[in-house]
Amino acid sequence: MIFALELKKLRRTGFIPIFLGGGLTAAAVPLINTAVRTETFSGLPEEPFPILMDANWGLMAQLTILLVVCGCCLIYHTEYADRGALKMNTLPVCQTSLFFGKFSVTLLLTLLALSLQTASLIFSGIHWFPDKSLNLWEMIQDMGFEIIMLLPTLTLMLFTASLFQSMWLSLGTGVILTFLGSMIQEDHLILSLIPFAAPYRMLHAVSPADISSCILACIIQTFLFGIMEIIYLHTRRIFT
Amino acid sequence: MNQTIQSAKSEKTATGMISLIQIELIKIRRSHIFWILLIPAVMMWIPSALNANVNFQMDDIGIMPEHNFFIQGFMGMAWFMIPAALIICTVLLNQTERTNKGFLKMLSLPVNTGKLCLAKFLVLLLLMAVQMMFTIIFYYAGALLASRLENYNFVLGFPYVAGGAAKIYLAIIPMAALFWMLAVLIQTPVFSAGICLASVVPSVLMVNTRLWPFYPMDYPFYMLMTEYGKQAEHIFSTEIQWMPMLPVAGAVTVLGLLVACVRFGKAETR
Repeated sequence: MIFALELKKLRRTGFIPIFLGGGLTAAAVPLINTAVRTETFSGLPEEPFPILMDANWGLMAQLTILLVVCGCCLIYHTEYADRGALKMNTLPVCQTSLFFGKFSVTLLLTLLALSLQTASLIFSGIHWFPDKSLNLWEMIQDMGFEIIMLLPTLTLMLFTASLFQSMWLSLGTGVILTFLGSMIQEDHLILSLIPFAAPYRMLHAVSPADISSCILACIIQTFLFGIMEIIYLHTRRIFT
Repeated sequence: MNQTIQSAKSEKTATGMISLIQIELIKIRRSHIFWILLIPAVMMWIPSALNANVNFQMDDIGIMPEHNFFIQGFMGMAWFMIPAALIICTVLLNQTERTNKGFLKMLSLPVNTGKLCLAKFLVLLLLMAVQMMFTIIFYYAGALLASRLENYNFVLGFPYVAGGAAKIYLAIIPMAALFWMLAVLIQTPVFSAGICLASVVPSVLMVNTRLWPFYPMDYPFYMLMTEYGKQAEHIFSTEIQWMPMLPVAGAVTVLGLLVACVRFGKAETR
């Protein structure tokens, strides 16, 4: 019920267009990059998908992170802008379920944005690498891995957005974290799995032995930030 | 007599602008924007200082370690953090008086909306100057720390550092006008911020194409890259190409500000 309510609230806020637009912008990256530099890529000996991911994923991941930051800011800004959150507090609705409703909506739309990007990567693979066989299953696995890598970022950002009533603070925090996350190199495995840095990891670049620990680390972090939000909601009156 | 009236008039408009800026500064007093500007400037020099030894491995491009330290550090700021801080400040200046319809009350006062818009833009530039200052201060802190850690003098002279920072700062202005125009035109604040953020991300690619003068978002990065080109060999062009850039930058600034000032507050008073 809360999920349907959240979707209804977002109808005229531009939430869905922002995810569609952001997803399309990120999806345009491999198309433009491969179209402009076809010779550079088609001569490489590797499989098409690793080539495409290596060439484009850094930029696509950053765009997706910024998209998640903007989306989380928007979903809480609609509550805070005209004191809607106060009215929500007086209703017989569990505050925690409100957060998880927002979480599911944002996750759903991030999935949409990522599937647009997957479609564009598949199209680039088919169109510009005609003489190489495509492993679609590998591609879908790779994108599934990216969703899990994005989970901690999404949860932490939603938590941040629920903390601040003024949007410039949540947006500012998100953008600073994006900036710091993009500076972290992937040679430290543990450091590279923190939120805002994990989405830059790619399935084919992670050694097979580390994959399960990467996934586990991201899921544990997601639960941790979820619990942080629950604790925050229950102790909120101490802070304000 | 006529002259005194005229001078009094011009004095009045001047003080009008200054007092408008002062009012804007009072409005953002409790916004905590200070921390948003300070934290990235501090955070970005810590890894640079701790990993300062990589600056000694740049023999192949012939750059001095101290110059490499300065340029690599400023690079993160110039390509992402400064434009992003600019976007956050546009959101701040546009949103700070929206709660409880404060903006409508402001518009009902006998103040020229165009002037109000210009005052907000000048505050935006002032906030960016504050961040530039923080970056320079913490560059020196980072350089001193790196010098202490590596026993090598990483500190560059103030005129050089301030000159480099000033070039980056001036290069922000067209982008600032463009972002401010978008923030005024697009009513949903997240939308304008999202568009601006998405336009900043590809600036690293745009600076390497021939179209760079027509993409104001890459000007600060371009300024830093020419500085890199002067210090290192075969990295980037060594001279700033003013010709297509200056007119485009001027046109973007003037047009952006003009549209912003004309459209400012129009949606609210409709």
